[in-house]
Amino acid sequence: MKILVCFKVTPDYEALREADWAAGAGGEPDTRFVQRILNCFDESALELALRLSETLEAQGVTPSLGALSIGGREAEPHLKTLQALGYGRAARVEADARLDFAPALVASLIARYAGRVERSDLLLLGCRSGPGDSGTVPFLVAETLGWPCVPQVTEVSPLGADRVRVTCTAGDGLLHATVRLPCVLAVGNAVVSRLRVPTLRDRLAHKTLSIDVVDAADLGIEVAAGTSDQTCVLTAFEPISRARRGVVIDGDTPHKKARVLFDSYLKSVVEAL
Amino acid sequence: MHLSREAIVEGLQKIVAPGDVITDERILVESSVDNFRKLQNIFNVHTMPVPAAVVMARSTDQVAQILSFANEHGVNVIPRTGGTATEGGLESAVPDSVIIDGSAMNQILSVDAYNMQATCQCGVPLQTLEDRVRELGLTTGHSPQSKPVAHMGGLVATRSIGQFSTLYGGIEDMVVGLEAVFPGGQVTRIKNVPRRAAGPDIRHVVIGNEGALCFITEVTVKLFPYFPENNTFLGYTLKDMKTGFEVLRKVMVNGYKPSVARVYDPGDAGLHFSHFAAEDDCVLLFMAEGPAGIAKATAEGIDAIVAGHPECTKVDSLYIETWFNDLCWGPDKITAEDERIRQTRNVNRTTEISADWGHINDIYQAARARIIEEIPDITMMGGHSSHSYINGTNMYFNYFFNVVGVGPEEETTKYYLPIISIICEETLKRGGSIVHHHGMGKARAPWVKDEYGSSYYILETLKRSFDPQDIMNKGTIFPT
Repeated sequence: MKILVCFKVTPDYEALREADWAAGAGGEPDTRFVQRILNCFDESALELALRLSETLEAQGVTPSLGALSIGGREAEPHLKTLQALGYGRAARVEADARLDFAPALVASLIARYAGRVERSDLLLLGCRSGPGDSGTVPFLVAETLGWPCVPQVTEVSPLGADRVRVTCTAGDGLLHATVRLPCVLAVGNAVVSRLRVPTLRDRLAHKTLSIDVVDAADLGIEVAAGTSDQTCVLTAFEPISRARRGVVIDGDTPHKKARVLFDSYLKSVVEAL
Repeated sequence: MHLSREAIVEGLQKIVAPGDVITDERILVESSVDNFRKLQNIFNVHTMPVPAAVVMARSTDQVAQILSFANEHGVNVIPRTGGTATEGGLESAVPDSVIIDGSAMNQILSVDAYNMQATCQCGVPLQTLEDRVRELGLTTGHSPQSKPVAHMGGLVATRSIGQFSTLYGGIEDMVVGLEAVFPGGQVTRIKNVPRRAAGPDIRHVVIGNEGALCFITEVTVKLFPYFPENNTFLGYTLKDMKTGFEVLRKVMVNGYKPSVARVYDPGDAGLHFSHFAAEDDCVLLFMAEGPAGIAKATAEGIDAIVAGHPECTKVDSLYIETWFNDLCWGPDKITAEDERIRQTRNVNRTTEISADWGHINDIYQAARARIIEEIPDITMMGGHSSHSYINGTNMYFNYFFNVVGVGPEEETTKYYLPIISIICEETLKRGGSIVHHHGMGKARAPWVKDEYGSSYYILETLKRSFDPQDIMNKGTIFPT
């Protein structure tokens, strides 16, 4: 089974202050000065793929695990980490174009790499990569490849060499499905949300492995330098109000306070159930 | 004769309101540890003796009565406020201990903008005090990473230090006076004066006592004018720590007082600065603050010193400013970190030491090399210097390891304590101090005699004199 996980390195938006967002009003916040991190959905996908790979190995199947990022050098520290964790192939596709809000371009690059270079069986992507993302890349990749796409995946396990068992959220419930490969899995709010950490010894052992840098043109996709394939443009944003109100309950003892809490709030909530 | 748990609870309920004696099993179990055994708390696996009660003290008089009761009956007590200790100082080392929680003593008693001092009870969160004095254009100058969650009593009890220490000093430089209660219930107040030469400075019996001598109920700290508009940030990349230490030394020796002066090794820099520093880069950074003229002169003077080291490459100051604005850890980051640990079993620990300029680099190099060589499953071994003085600096070892093949309860014995042991050995060998600002707690208490040498006589005599029944936080500073 050839597994490929695609990830995007994003600015750590949490490190921006409200003033930083305000400074970008009418355009985009300046994220040059914050760290780059794995977005949470991609991080889930990367860890799920490692677990899937381990399960396959335990079943006597030797999987092939690869990681791909579309973009610049900021992905390379993460690709080195993934190599130390057991990702046998690590690659990034360079495209000298604006990639934000350009899902069609990103999807075509991923699909071309997965189909022509990797010849993958199973493709995992985070369902979206950051604030304001359309969340359409996994579907566009699947459409381009002509593969089925399972959205909001939270768990995945192997069923032999050519099928996987997936769990995904659907409305208020969970959907369990068996999917024949090849397919695309768009990972959503998985319980597994953190990528394991390689030891220094693992890093040292994999230090000499190289990262494949593929030019978009090598994939047969011409992207004019500096052009934009954006399907939408960010024109404005405003802060989400996170103001909350609270009530301090007075009372001599915890029991009295609990009684006030129950009578004034919890009772009506319980009765409404 | 020792009291039963029931008798202890009954005795406490005669001192405070019954509802202020907490015996909920879950709270007691969680209160048996602090962040030294955070993995046990995260996985809900506990090995320490369960306390008899957590008692919420609401006044100095109640603290005095509780300590008097404990002293009379030989009950071990553990003073606590914010509960952010990292070195086991809040662990219950013996069964049926009583946690005296001062977090309900949370009143700011005065803010004196003329005499530039503020008085507050022990349970006031530093963030609350800082927010209050900021309204007056003032600052406490104290900003440990735990500022959003740590309380004033605990900060004084552990001799804490903040991120702006190079300008404002540690908490010991900020405390003007205080009130503390000793085991027999003796309430002592040390008055607030600018300085005096009336014998030894007895504030230092209390500051840093870690609850092993007394319970701090009230503190008065200095205030300073706040000029955030003049904050000036400087950042540089360089290839070795030795140069970084040397730049810090020159900055200090030449009399500059930046509020922040730090050098990060490549491992630690990778956690914070990978967006502008290469994999093998160290990062040197400064913040100058104060009145405009001082901030400007400080920044220019430091920049000139660094310019004398052409191996240092200047970076855009916005990298440093943006990073610094996101440095403190509130409950949200702590919760996220706990979840990361729960899923990955990858644990982050820190150990801080200090030494003179002539030895700090050797300690850093030797300890780091030994830890990488001797300890399994290390995923990052690095550190930074963040508090400098004219005669030396600190080293804040920052390391991560995967917990492999053992349960959460064995994490300290398999990884954490062996690492601490290496750091203490390499530090003591070169004449440094094994604790810069976290406190001894119980984690480093086994090294206390080596740390103090012949001066241990003074420390030990303090304990014998003020706590003859040995009821104060058994095992902290003084090993059991």
